[in-house]
Amino acid sequence: MKKVLQIVLAASTLLLSLTSHADSEALQMLERMGVVAKQLNYDGIFSYQKGKKLQSIRIIHRADEQGEVERLISLNGVAREVIRTNEMVTCIYPEGKAVQENHQPLGRGFPTDLLKRLSSAAEYYQTSLGQEERVATHNTQEVVVSPIDNYRYGYSLWVDKKSNLLLQSDLLDDQGNILETFSFSAVEMGHAISEQLLQPEMQGNQLSWNRNEHGLSAIKEIQKQPSVWQVTWLPEGFNLVTQQNRFKARNGAAVEQQVYSDGLSSVSIFFEKIRARHSHLHGSSKMGPANAFGTIMNAHFITVVGEVPARTVEKVGHSIRYNEAE
Amino acid sequence: MTVNQNELLSALVDGELQRSELDDVLLLLDTNEQARRQLQRYQRASDVLHDHNLHHHQIDLSDRISVALQDEAAFTATTVTDTSAQIIAFPTQFWKQAASLAVAASIGALAVVGVMNQPQNQLVANHQVAIVDMDARPKLAVKTSERWTVEEQEVEERLNSYLVDHNEYAGASGVFSYARVVSYDMGQ
Repeated sequence: MKKVLQIVLAASTLLLSLTSHADSEALQMLERMGVVAKQLNYDGIFSYQKGKKLQSIRIIHRADEQGEVERLISLNGVAREVIRTNEMVTCIYPEGKAVQENHQPLGRGFPTDLLKRLSSAAEYYQTSLGQEERVATHNTQEVVVSPIDNYRYGYSLWVDKKSNLLLQSDLLDDQGNILETFSFSAVEMGHAISEQLLQPEMQGNQLSWNRNEHGLSAIKEIQKQPSVWQVTWLPEGFNLVTQQNRFKARNGAAVEQQVYSDGLSSVSIFFEKIRARHSHLHGSSKMGPANAFGTIMNAHFITVVGEVPARTVEKVGHSIRYNEAE
Repeated sequence: MTVNQNELLSALVDGELQRSELDDVLLLLDTNEQARRQLQRYQRASDVLHDHNLHHHQIDLSDRISVALQDEAAFTATTVTDTSAQIIAFPTQFWKQAASLAVAASIGALAVVGVMNQPQNQLVANHQVAIVDMDARPKLAVKTSERWTVEEQEVEERLNSYLVDHNEYAGASGVFSYARVVSYDMGQ
């Protein structure tokens, strides 16, 4: 109960901090949505559409005193699973590919952190209520999150009016086109979730589960000094949120990563020293809504990656300078 | 220019580079105008010290290197606005030259002359061929980009690795992130 109060208080504080860009009713709905997403048990199937591909994914979410556990299982195509706990996300590739494991959960939970992120990005997005629609037999209310410029994406969120669970989310470009969408087709809420349902089915499968227990040991701070790289243009409101150096385990190359964000949208810039004969992205590439721009400068591969429009990564990429004075 | 980069250039002029350092210094020269100018200064200083001034002025290595590398800059600095990616693939001759330099470096300062003078025209010519070859490649459709729109697995893997790192620290929209990972390669 104490935890619930803390969450509600924190969300209320964030709500108050938002600016006039926001519709207060829409923000209250986002607040309730964030709280429910952390506390509700649910077991459902959602479709995830990207481009011409449609994937069905089962999601099982449990919240109790120990925290949250979430398991996602692909239901068509190649079998894959993602297990998210409070501390870790594990992605399981049963066909023998390496397991990707991060010690910080991907996205740190969405939409539970949306309100918090939106609070720091409120100047750059407008939030309002949209239409009502029926999703997975539930009546939902649309909440529209629109960017103020065309350097970031917007969202259209469909929230269950009864439970406040997010049932559909669309990622939108500046023309209003849906880049990516997930939508529940069926969902059960409020039931007990057994431990067995949260265990990966592929555990023990000889083709997978190559967990790298030494993953973090490969991440080293090789320097804590000003970067020789200077980014001379960023979208309004984008600030440096993380800067780190690490060695890539595969080829041992030193890589500097700079992460810039307005709180909701973000880009990373990777500076990888060229060590041997390698090919590199030159120009633009995209995968779904994620865009990348690559070039070579001063014997380094420079790559800008982010869930932002192509124009953003390109403009950021072209603005990078090597600071000779450093 | 860092101290280490200056040392690399000096070692190149003195023919003291190790094989493992050759890639670094050649790529540095490939991408850094200041490094090229610095090499020119080192080379002239070396010429004076070794009383080779007249001979090397006739060869004019530095200018020719600069010209060759400026031509190459069209390859590395061109802005590609097409949404379909192009891949930089260093020409085979470039790496043959690096290997040649490695061998030549073991016998002293002649390496500078041997590598920088003779093959530079080949370097430029091969890059031009490479550009033509890449332009001839079919463009990938952007609208069906459930995979990175690149043509080499190595580049795709690097971009995937970057995206994972980005999501880890940037806090991407979680459900989408999970769904992408769960559904990745579903088109295969």
